[in-house]
Formats: sequence, structure tokens, C-alpha cells
Amino acid sequence: MSDGILKMLEVDNLAVTYGSGRLINHAVKKVSFQVEQGEAYGLVGESGSGKSTILRAICGLAPVSGGTMRLNGAPVTSPRDQNFHRSVQMVFQDPYGSLHPRHTVDRVLSEPMAIHGLDSRNDRIVQALAEVGLGPTFRFRFPHQLSGGQRQRVAIARALILEPKLLLLDEPTSALDASVQAEILNLLDDLRRKRGLTYILVSHDLAVVSYLCNRLLVMRNGDAIEELTTDRLREGSASSDYTRTLLSASHGFARRGSHVPNARATG
Amino acid sequence: MTAPLLELDGLHVDFHLRSGTVHAVRGLSFTLGRERLGIVGESGSGKSQTGRAILGLTPPPGHVTAKKMTFDGIDLLNANKETWRKLRGRRLTMVMQDPKYSLNPIMTIGDQIMETFRSHVKASRSEARDKAIEMLEAVQIRDPGRVFSLYPHEVSGGMGQRAMIAMMLVTDPDLFIADEITSALDVTVQMEVLHILDELVAERGMGLIFISHDLKLVSSFCDRVLVMYGGRVMEELSASQLGNAQHPYTQGLLKCLPTLDNASRPLPVLTRDPEWLA
Repeated sequence: MSDGILKMLEVDNLAVTYGSGRLINHAVKKVSFQVEQGEAYGLVGESGSGKSTILRAICGLAPVSGGTMRLNGAPVTSPRDQNFHRSVQMVFQDPYGSLHPRHTVDRVLSEPMAIHGLDSRNDRIVQALAEVGLGPTFRFRFPHQLSGGQRQRVAIARALILEPKLLLLDEPTSALDASVQAEILNLLDDLRRKRGLTYILVSHDLAVVSYLCNRLLVMRNGDAIEELTTDRLREGSASSDYTRTLLSASHGFARRGSHVPNARATG
Repeated sequence: MTAPLLELDGLHVDFHLRSGTVHAVRGLSFTLGRERLGIVGESGSGKSQTGRAILGLTPPPGHVTAKKMTFDGIDLLNANKETWRKLRGRRLTMVMQDPKYSLNPIMTIGDQIMETFRSHVKASRSEARDKAIEMLEAVQIRDPGRVFSLYPHEVSGGMGQRAMIAMMLVTDPDLFIADEITSALDVTVQMEVLHILDELVAERGMGLIFISHDLKLVSSFCDRVLVMYGGRVMEELSASQLGNAQHPYTQGLLKCLPTLDNASRPLPVLTRDPEWLA
């Protein structure tokens, strides 16, 4: 399983287009990548780069206008069947917007199990909460009684309760404070190792991606710029100018003419 | 040594709610000259309420008290409406996080800058227009004539934030408060906006209060940094001494960030000590 031959997801020439005619917008332009089983793969880019649109296209939330996708070797059908959603789940960016304000944690976690007809729901809820580091006391709370970090834990529990193979993470920590971000990143890293999950992580933050992922794809304006391993990113041996600009920007502000090299001046 | 631009002594901002009193800022004191001061903290640390209190913009039911709060010798605690009108927008200005919400959606960018200028300085329409174009040039907008007549929804976030900066600098303020002005922007745009702000602040010799949650960004941009937690200052540092931070909260904030240079895991998690707020 872990020999790296089995592909969890193969995306080939994926294109997503919104609108038509004069107002046509190519959000994703023929992007291809492959994610191995048990791997964590990052999609990095600035706003409008198409990174989130790829995630939405994978789970059927964006209109795919070209290309093919294969999950575990089998072509992904449109509309997605129940089996697909059983093995692929998504965690969204904003924990304030992704939980129903009038549903308790218990109801949030019960709904996917009712849809998929799972049994022993009671035990699964208790176990799912424990796995994301929330005690049983959280079970009957409403979202407004939880902090941002706790809400994101509930959103992760909701995704994990169906025991999926592939987790799609769309900026899971960007709405959180730095100290809470560290807790959620540790939790995600831990869960992946324990349960052998595959992740696709979308983020604008190179440091976050390099913490969780083995490989990443840098995107800009709907195009894939380059794919590289996290180790090569850490070494700073990115091959494109754009990746180097992102790298230098993530090191903080450097006054022009100071000793820290500016990527645009050197690149 | 000239008198400080801003003096704050024992600033408290309290919100008296039905469910009890929330102490947003508890006894904050600092003096500011014509320098770049950074205020850093996580959500709920009181950093934004500090900026608002200085401008007299604490929203109800907030209540501001202080032993002393003066700007260039003017008592801000007992300032009447007329004094505030003369100061706010003219000598004291502020830019907030998201230009989408701070620009007027039904007025062109140029008209908004002109309006700001003419409400503080006696000038004809054509003088104001020239001044607005000049400011748009100063924030490095390449085609100022075109951007002048655009509506806010027609420009990108980075462009909108530059227009906000242009508007807030058009009256040549003495103190500029920047509240998370780059948090909603992409990293590469962030750097451009910061470069522009940095040059303008240096040129005009004004005081800057730069509020942000990003400790590293603030310390790379400012001269001095206040680290806030729970409405109090945990530590004051000169920006170059960030590596020698003494307070466990500052150290925790620095360590819990994933970095490209360090692959160790798990990330150290910040433990909060109730003693810090005692």
C-alpha cells in the first residue's frame, strides 16, 4: 500500500470555466497532478490562482469543463455517487460559516451517518470527538458556544466520521490565531499518520504547506507553475521566479536596499 | 528632545454588557514620537480597540477611561466634537483591514479622496483633483487618471488598499494608525503595500501605529513592538531584539508558527498562564 505505486487521485488536464463569451473566466487551465495513497499534497497560490477551485471541482462543487479524474484507479463519475462522498470529505476554511448555527455538535455529526446509513452512531460520535481532542461534554453544544479552534475541530470530526480515505482541506487554519493554528496543524498531522489518510491541502501559506505536506504544486492565474517536494522548497531550490517571490515574501518585510535579497531584484 | 506626539497613560476600554463587563484594554500606557510602533496580539488582545480609542471611535456600549491621553498636547479624553472634527481625518488618520468595507461603494475613488481633502483643507475642486491624482501617484498606482474615476468594486484588494492609504495621507497627518491593513491581501501585494507605506512614512516623518497579528511582519517593519494579550502589554521590545524576547507569551507566539527552516514536529503549543493577567 505504501510503496507509492497506488495512486489515490489522478487529475489529468483538469479545466474549470465560468461564464461564456466575452465574460469567460478560465479559473483552472489544464492542470494535472497525481496524489499517492497516504501522501499529503499541497496546492499553493495567491487569490484567484484556482487552488480552491480545484478542490471544489474534485468533489463536484465546481463546473468541470475538461479533463479527467480517477479516484483509486476508477474514473470519477458526474454527479458524484454516494461511494465517492464516503471516501472523499472536505474541511472548509471558515469554521464560523461551515457549521449550521442552530444545530448541536451531535446533530452535525449525526447527519452524515444518517445519509450513509451507518450503525452504532452513538459510539462513533463519542469516538470522533475524542479523536479531535474534544471531550464528551462538547456533544450537545451549539457552534456559538465554541471557540474558532473548537469549531474547526468539529468540522474535522464531521469529515472523519465517515472514515474517508481522502481529506480535502481548504485553508483549514487561515481564519485562526497563530497559537490555535499550531494545535490544528498538530491534530491534522497526527490523524494522517494514525489513520493512513491522504490529504490535499490548499493554502496561501508556504510554511503551513511545508509543515503538513510532502509535495506541493504552485499555482498562479489558473496555471500550474511548478511541482516540487517540500525538501526542495526548504532548500530554496525552486526553479520558477514566481515561487522564489512567494518564498521571499513569506520571510517578512525587507526594506529595499537592505541585506535581505529581494526576489524580484535578483530573480 | 521634543514633546511626544501621543501620550497614553492607563488606558482602559470596557464594554458593559448584560452578561457582565468585558475588559478589552486594561491599563495600557505608552508614548509615541515620530516613529513606527507595532502593536501585536491575537484576537481579543485589545489591539484594535486601542487604535479605535485613540481616534475616539470606540463603538457603544464601550467606555474609555485613562489617566492621560493627549495628542500633541491636546487632551483627547475631554475633546469636544469640534476638536475631534479638526483632528480626525486630518492630523490623526486610520486605515482598517478590508478596503471592501471602508470605501464608499457608490462614489468613485477620486471623488472620495477629493471629499476627504476638501472637508479639511480650503481648496477648489480642480486643486483637490490635482492633489488626489498626485496622491494616487504617490501610492504607485500606474494610471492614476483611470483609477480616479473607478468605483471601489472595479479595483482589486491591493489597489483598494492603496487608494485608502492615499485618502488617509492626503491631509498630511501627523499620526497614522494602520489596523491589519495587509491581512486581507496576498503576500506579494502585501509587500508592495508595505513598501509604499514605509517610504511615505519616512518621507513625511509621521508617527505610525501598525496593528497586526503577525509578529514577524511587525518586527520586520517597525522600530518598536508592544506585545498585547488579554488587554495588557506583555512585553515591549525593540524590533531588532525579537529573538531575545523574554516573556513566555512572546516566545510562545514565535515558536508556534511553522517555518520553512525548521521541520521539527509537533509544533510547540502555547500554554496560557492566568498569572499574565493577574
